[in-house]
Amino acid sequence: MRLLFLSKALACVAVLSAALLPAAAGAQTTDRALQKKQMAEVVDTKKFKKPGPYTIGVAAGYMSNSWVVFCLQHIRYEASLHKDVKDVIVTDAAFNPSKQVADIEDLVAKNVSLIIYWPVDEKAIQPALEKAVAKGIPTVNAGGGFSYSAGTVSNAFIDQWALGEEGARHFVKDLGGKGKIFAMLPIAGTTAAVDQLAALKTVLKDHPNVELLSAEYGDWNRAKAKQISENLLQRYPKIDGVFSPAGQMSMGVAEAFEDAGRMKGLTMSPGDEYNGWMKWVVKNQKGGAVTFPTRAGQEATKLGLKILAGEPVPRGLVIPSEYIAPKDAAKFAEMNKPDDWWASKLPEQFKPK
Amino acid sequence: MSPLAASPWSSAGELLSRWAILCVLAVLYLVAIALSDAFLEPVYVGNILRQAAPVGIAAIGTTLVMILGCIDLSIGAIISFSAVLCAVLMAGDARNVPLAVAVTVAVGAAFGAVNGLLVVFNRSSSFILTLGTALAIYGLTQIFSGGTARGMVAPDFREFFNHRLGDVLPVLALSLLLLAAAVEILLRTTRFGRQIYLIGSNREAARLSGLPVAAVTFACYVISGAFAALGGIAVLARSGVSSTFTGRGFEFDALAAIVLGGTLFSGGRGTVVGTVAGTLVLFIAFNLVNILGFNYNLQLVLKGAIIVVASAAYARLGRDR
Repeated sequence: MRLLFLSKALACVAVLSAALLPAAAGAQTTDRALQKKQMAEVVDTKKFKKPGPYTIGVAAGYMSNSWVVFCLQHIRYEASLHKDVKDVIVTDAAFNPSKQVADIEDLVAKNVSLIIYWPVDEKAIQPALEKAVAKGIPTVNAGGGFSYSAGTVSNAFIDQWALGEEGARHFVKDLGGKGKIFAMLPIAGTTAAVDQLAALKTVLKDHPNVELLSAEYGDWNRAKAKQISENLLQRYPKIDGVFSPAGQMSMGVAEAFEDAGRMKGLTMSPGDEYNGWMKWVVKNQKGGAVTFPTRAGQEATKLGLKILAGEPVPRGLVIPSEYIAPKDAAKFAEMNKPDDWWASKLPEQFKPK
Repeated sequence: MSPLAASPWSSAGELLSRWAILCVLAVLYLVAIALSDAFLEPVYVGNILRQAAPVGIAAIGTTLVMILGCIDLSIGAIISFSAVLCAVLMAGDARNVPLAVAVTVAVGAAFGAVNGLLVVFNRSSSFILTLGTALAIYGLTQIFSGGTARGMVAPDFREFFNHRLGDVLPVLALSLLLLAAAVEILLRTTRFGRQIYLIGSNREAARLSGLPVAAVTFACYVISGAFAALGGIAVLARSGVSSTFTGRGFEFDALAAIVLGGTLFSGGRGTVVGTVAGTLVLFIAFNLVNILGFNYNLQLVLKGAIIVVASAAYARLGRDR
């Protein structure tokens, strides 16, 4: 009887999971005016001032992602430039918020000088971060997002809205100010998806001849982006351009158009400096990139060391995205490296092996 | 009861019972045609088959395990590991493809062998054992890759599998159909196939009858691991590899397809044809709501509803008999 019940329960779980897995992302919204004000705050860090040598603790929410692997290597690189940093201790929560809480508590118990983190779930780890701050250990968010809370002293921050806006402006220019487009965005409800779409719509207000046919969510997944694009190609006989700020998904989109023989005349928006996309740009001389810099880790480390020196720091340090024109892509693409790789200025010995 | 034990021609009801998923698939396809002309286009149907290939191929092997009354939750992890491993071994050079594919399938089979040994010699449930190996394989993938999906896919490899025969059917889609046909024939015409059904129907009776329960169980897990590796290679062929978690969630898609296809969790019943049909139901559902242009959240609701209705219709047509 139990086996029968278990069987039925598992059947339900299996069937429903297939339908609902993509819905896992939590919804977030961004009030830009408020956020700008919060980011501009200057944090008094005197209470965190302490002499070296320093041990940097890195509480990684996850490591199974090439962007964060490069981000961590930037932390290690910056640490290597400072003689008073004696060690970098890294914990990996593997997408488990409970483990990240435990990891942060462990780092506090080890009395690290500074905690750099990127969250799985920002709210879930706040109490642990607040305890660290209460014990005089400063915390810096290096995940590319912005957190305004008592547990986060400062943020090395990539502005998704600004990134989306810059990409959208180059895209509309390349499109010639008119045409039918669709947007391929990350996981629905995430800050990245919400801000990038908002930025695109803001830009499109100035260009009424550009029609947004549909906003789709490819979950940062090349295969899913390709699958969705294949359907859109059936649905719309005319598509002039695709807004896709994430290079991973841009590759899937481009493949679908190539398969359908509809690449000619298609305008691709800038992606990011994901190596597979950069290689595509070099080959096709389209699209370009607006960077999502992995050096967020390096900037977070610089911020952390300033805090330990008692210097005032901003609550949110914006790491500006840069536009890479198609003609310049060859300077950034590493043709002999895998697709799942990021253009960076890391010294060779610090690049992932 | 084993499908082979009863005559498939005994009655129309029995026939309907066995192939209910094909009725569901046909109805869903007719609905799709009614709602969008795209589903009448051979090239688009070829696209759907190609999309379904990675999950479908992996699900073929797992179907054997489930007919045995066991489960394999490690296939998503094996797909991820296999995609990364095959890309690394390929190193962007078409000359490396045969070796890369052979080694990848062998490694997948080896993971399956570990699962098989654990299930045969351990009294714990296959659910928890394969959940454990899934975690271990995900860990190995991270250790092996260092967090970035290393390796480069040879362009010729992808061109071959994405080439359309007669400008319609991608080789990858044909691969799914051929592999499914081969395993269906294995199940229907060989002693090994009959033993799988008999063991799944009543493991203890099979043991007392002298059937090689341990050997068959071990072999099914090896096959499941090998097919999961083929699923990973199919992912690589379809769209390259862009993360070390390529196969995450595939185990649930595969289980959903297998269950929709009429394979029972309790074992003793199921077909590969049903599994492929279940996979196509899932992918047609996804493509249908997407092509109709529904809002993303409504897409989720409709996709879930189609799966639930298809599952309920199957239960009505098939399992209650």
